[in-house]
Amino acid sequence: MAKEDIRIGVYVCHCGLNIAGSVDCEEVAKFAAKLPNVVLARDYRYTCSDQGQELIKKDIKEFRLNRVVVASCTPRLHEPTFRRVCEEAGLNKYLFEMANIREQCSWVHLNDRKAATEKAKDLVKMAVAKAALLEPAEEIEVPIIRKALVIGGGVAGIQAALDLADTGYKVYLVEKEPSIGGMMARIDKTFPTMDCSICILAPKMSDVGRHPNIELLTNSEVVDVKGYIGNFRVKVLKKPRYVKEDCSACGECSKVCPMIAPNEFDAGLALRHAVYTPFAQAVPSTYIIDMNLCLNKDGIMVCEKCIKACERQAIDFTMKPETIELEVGTIIVATGADVFDPSTLPQYGYGRYLNVITSLEFERLINAGGPSGGRLIRPSDLKIPKRVAFIQCVGSRSSKTGRTYCSNVCCMNTIKDSLLIKEHWPETEIYVFYVDIRAYGKGFEDLYKRAKNEGVKFIRGLPAEIFEDRKTRNLWLIGENTLLKEPYKMSFDLVVLSVGLEPRKDAELIQRLLTLSRTQDGFFMEAHPKLRPVDAATGGIFFAGCAEAPKDIKDSVTQASAAAARAGILMAKGKVTVEAITPILDLEKCKACGLCVKVCPYNAITLNKELKRVEIVEAACGGCGTCAAECPSDALTQNHFTDEQIIAQIDAVTGQDADKKIVAFCCNWCAYAGADFAGVSRMQYPHNVRIIRTMCSGRVAPKFVERAFARGAAAVLVAGCHPGDCHYINANYHTQRRVERLWKKMEQNGLNKERLQLLWVSAAEGERFASKIYEMQRIVESVTPDEIERAKKVFAKAGGA
Amino acid sequence: MTPTLDNAKAIAYKKALSECIDAEKLKFCFECGICTACCPMAELLGEGYNPRNLLERIFINMEEALASEELWLCAWCYRCYRHCPQALKLPEIFLHIRRLAVKHGYKQPFENAVKKIVTAVPLSLVAIIACFHPERARLDLNKILDYAEQLRKEFLNERPWKTEPIKGKVAVIGSGPSGLTVAYELALKGCEVTVFEALEEPGGMLRKCLPVHRLPREFLDKDLQVLDALGVKIKTGVTVGKNIDFDSLWNEGFKAIFIGVGAHKGQELKIEGENLEGVFHALDFLWTVNSGREIDLKGKKVAVVGGGNVAVDSARTAIKLGADEATIFYRRSREEMPANPWEVKEAEDEGVKVELLVSPKRILGRNGWVSAVEFVRMRLDDLDETGRRRPIPIDGSEFVKESDLVVLAIGEAPDLQFLPKEIELKEDGTIWVNPLTMETTLKGVFAGGDTVTGPATIIEAIHSGKIAATSIECYLKASGGK
Repeated sequence: MAKEDIRIGVYVCHCGLNIAGSVDCEEVAKFAAKLPNVVLARDYRYTCSDQGQELIKKDIKEFRLNRVVVASCTPRLHEPTFRRVCEEAGLNKYLFEMANIREQCSWVHLNDRKAATEKAKDLVKMAVAKAALLEPAEEIEVPIIRKALVIGGGVAGIQAALDLADTGYKVYLVEKEPSIGGMMARIDKTFPTMDCSICILAPKMSDVGRHPNIELLTNSEVVDVKGYIGNFRVKVLKKPRYVKEDCSACGECSKVCPMIAPNEFDAGLALRHAVYTPFAQAVPSTYIIDMNLCLNKDGIMVCEKCIKACERQAIDFTMKPETIELEVGTIIVATGADVFDPSTLPQYGYGRYLNVITSLEFERLINAGGPSGGRLIRPSDLKIPKRVAFIQCVGSRSSKTGRTYCSNVCCMNTIKDSLLIKEHWPETEIYVFYVDIRAYGKGFEDLYKRAKNEGVKFIRGLPAEIFEDRKTRNLWLIGENTLLKEPYKMSFDLVVLSVGLEPRKDAELIQRLLTLSRTQDGFFMEAHPKLRPVDAATGGIFFAGCAEAPKDIKDSVTQASAAAARAGILMAKGKVTVEAITPILDLEKCKACGLCVKVCPYNAITLNKELKRVEIVEAACGGCGTCAAECPSDALTQNHFTDEQIIAQIDAVTGQDADKKIVAFCCNWCAYAGADFAGVSRMQYPHNVRIIRTMCSGRVAPKFVERAFARGAAAVLVAGCHPGDCHYINANYHTQRRVERLWKKMEQNGLNKERLQLLWVSAAEGERFASKIYEMQRIVESVTPDEIERAKKVFAKAGGA
Repeated sequence: MTPTLDNAKAIAYKKALSECIDAEKLKFCFECGICTACCPMAELLGEGYNPRNLLERIFINMEEALASEELWLCAWCYRCYRHCPQALKLPEIFLHIRRLAVKHGYKQPFENAVKKIVTAVPLSLVAIIACFHPERARLDLNKILDYAEQLRKEFLNERPWKTEPIKGKVAVIGSGPSGLTVAYELALKGCEVTVFEALEEPGGMLRKCLPVHRLPREFLDKDLQVLDALGVKIKTGVTVGKNIDFDSLWNEGFKAIFIGVGAHKGQELKIEGENLEGVFHALDFLWTVNSGREIDLKGKKVAVVGGGNVAVDSARTAIKLGADEATIFYRRSREEMPANPWEVKEAEDEGVKVELLVSPKRILGRNGWVSAVEFVRMRLDDLDETGRRRPIPIDGSEFVKESDLVVLAIGEAPDLQFLPKEIELKEDGTIWVNPLTMETTLKGVFAGGDTVTGPATIIEAIHSGKIAATSIECYLKASGGK
């Protein structure tokens, strides 16, 4: 096939002073003009602006450009923007390439203009080399199933489910507890309006239960998720209730049940029976039997009291767990958060001193429907306390507990709690011990002022220790009043620890099931903190509520509606286009060895033994490229990240001064994003690293590393997501394998294996990336010319193409 | 107002700060006040010392901090570090700034600090050597001790010898730092104090177990001379509960009793081979060394089990006695070691090895003498009630370490059999006291030091003694000495 004339247009963006401040853009553009296949090179102030975009479109037509390179910010920001520009000018969007000379150049080398400019030239050279080899591609369209799955039945899950159901979509709401309602059902009043929490929640819960479009699956858990955006196949385990839907919730069974246990709903402060309903307004209202507690747990009918008591004959001990398979197009994760357990802070005595309770236990005590009928009583003597202390920031904002974030809701929660006490027992003395009071939201400051007006005293200084008076069970708080610069030693009847929120203990499980990322704090990571706050990085999955970060009810509901809207966009469109980065198979070279089948995280490749070849299901392909890296016969490569294109980039980097450079392969989702984050944070690091982007570190074939060394590179870095966090489920496991084999080869050939580094770095770890480059800089400086030559010989056969 | 610094100084200050504040992990103070609340020196000196404030000043106005005498008042007990939500190592941060101060010629603040120490901290010389450690900031310790002695003489001369003497005799059981502090403080106010000490020489742990290189005994004697001059009677060789009954103290006319018997009962490991020759409990080992016996450990391998200050002292002592190898074996990780982190560092600099996440399974012997110890490697599980991660043995990871001497330093508890039933103990066997008054559940009986807190530092014992002394004074005044 005759190769058409390649005509590349290069645009070097100033981005105001963001790039031009540390890179000489004019010089880079002049350099670009001289590169092979480049017919036009410009530098421009704001390429992504309307005028910039118009200019590119004009140039494409006027100069008959058939490839476009924009050297500016990170492709993770504006690749879609410029791809659209190309399309509008009639150019296939896959004929566009970007060079990241901002986040990964101008922002991280602020103090060495010459070096930054040289690096920018290299990066443009790499992009041009790849652009010359780009081929047009068409994206396939995949239909989207118009059904949604909401995991978690707290207020966020409820709101999202209702919004989607009202829009007309079928929604499956899966909740692992016997009833929906979550945390909000347990709170007494909400801030700042002092509304009764369950009163405003119960109608919504009822709506969920009655909605024709919502299928409510309580006492159920998601156990497997397969598929991709628009086409998820989900397995849900419905655990048996042992009570049929005929149940009228009359409660006669509970009355006769002999077994009791602490009630989880009341934070363990009250008792329930083996057959029970978690709380009065539970939806569904059907009772449930806790088989771990019931006397019949070994399958032998020892006790039949509840069966006899039930008029509707709704008890059924023969119920079995059931696995249901659902097919949905979008998933909303609304799994909520757990509460910090302060028994790991021995100085506060929680668990040893009776009258030290958590804010959640307080909530149940002051709730009229709670174990004490709304009377705030001291656990030790059941009397109403006259002096109450609230301690803030318990478990939050602390390096020691590993939870360095602020839990958002505790300040307002305490203010609300103090007003609740004052409402019922106005003579109570209340002290709040704090570091900062965060009353940022609408109506929050007013509530804070109200509390102060009611006589609640705020002391800035957390207690170092709590001691108990053995006789009275009162508590001594020892601390420093930092504003008065005076120590305090105060006695209280009751101490409430304002505990923070933390990620769910089973967050890791959900993460694995849905291939989500988590931030340092352990909460789920959104696609972009400002512009895509409810999208997960994985397509088709959205977040609502505390699963993504601690927040109050208003923000949870807001985020839930946002997530429903985002999911709705996908389902309304009815189809989604799959990015054309799927594998290309060379049938003649394929030997049907099946290695690619084994490594595909999506099971998108099957082996056809009769025809002696493999077959690819493009719609299921995630686009990681691991198959291409695994193929020993060079039969597989990845669209838009072909072997030739990557090798062209390696060759471009190592064309000059290779012995001073680090060739870095970074995966799009974590490592490349981490390097971007270092740039956004203006972390400075040595300038001799050149980053080649692949979608996944699994794309990095050993021959790429070998090619880099064969061309004289001083060092090579392979960087990807942390194991377990791989965007493509587990593809980075193969990266590890391949790098280890390369290390072995280097050792066997007397090469310093430190020249090849493997780094797991997440999108939030810009500092980790920068540190690594510093570390590698030292390695680069210590590599001898002799070593470089030896490596060249050892890997001479590498690369091919 | 902050004067403008010259550029070189500003850069030097910035560098010093970033070296000692864990800037990479953003462990910055958020001014919660917890460090000041639990600092013994803050309570001893009142407004004269506020570590939180000092740290804030280091951030905001380094010159002011360098010129401040407060910089020199930290007594290295690390209580702040153990309570701080950001786990900031204040003593080490202050040391960094102290060294900077010395480098830039700020000597006067330290001299002011010594004055404060001499007036506010009983057993001043012992405290300066074993608590304040001015030599770590590269100051001359001997010069400082001379200066302190001189200041103390002046202080004791200047103040009125006896104001209105407090009526009532007080008995102090135990002549360790807490007991001696109570005696000193009450004697200063003219009270008649008798100290009962079970051993032949007074000093408690200071005499018995603290290695000589950590506290040369001559300074302990100098501090004791002060008590003698104040009229404190120390009866050595008298064990309350053996030579004299607790209850008979009331009959002898004592109106208040202070119990400061420390924690001298070494915990047992309860493993096979614990009774072999060559296996010592750390306190016995240290006492034997300190009682003047010539011990030569040349060519020997010493294994020390435990991670507290006693373990570190034992290991360092072993090295000083010529041991080939002295290794500390601790079952958790470095962050969880209860020992003073700086002293662990000093021990390692002296050649002590530290092996973490190991626990002894059994002690092996030959002909009745210890020959080796079988250890099993541990991994850390979830947090337990003390807030530390629970160590779990890894099956099949056992290994054997040759050892000629095994020292067990896995914790000490007080021996309180002599106490009457009315004095309630806590679950861990220490005496329960009202934290504000240090009074036990028996009226007129007070307690402090390791007996109440479990093994802790000297400055904490001194601190609790001072609180108890104030309490006893109030108690005697209220009861009219009856």
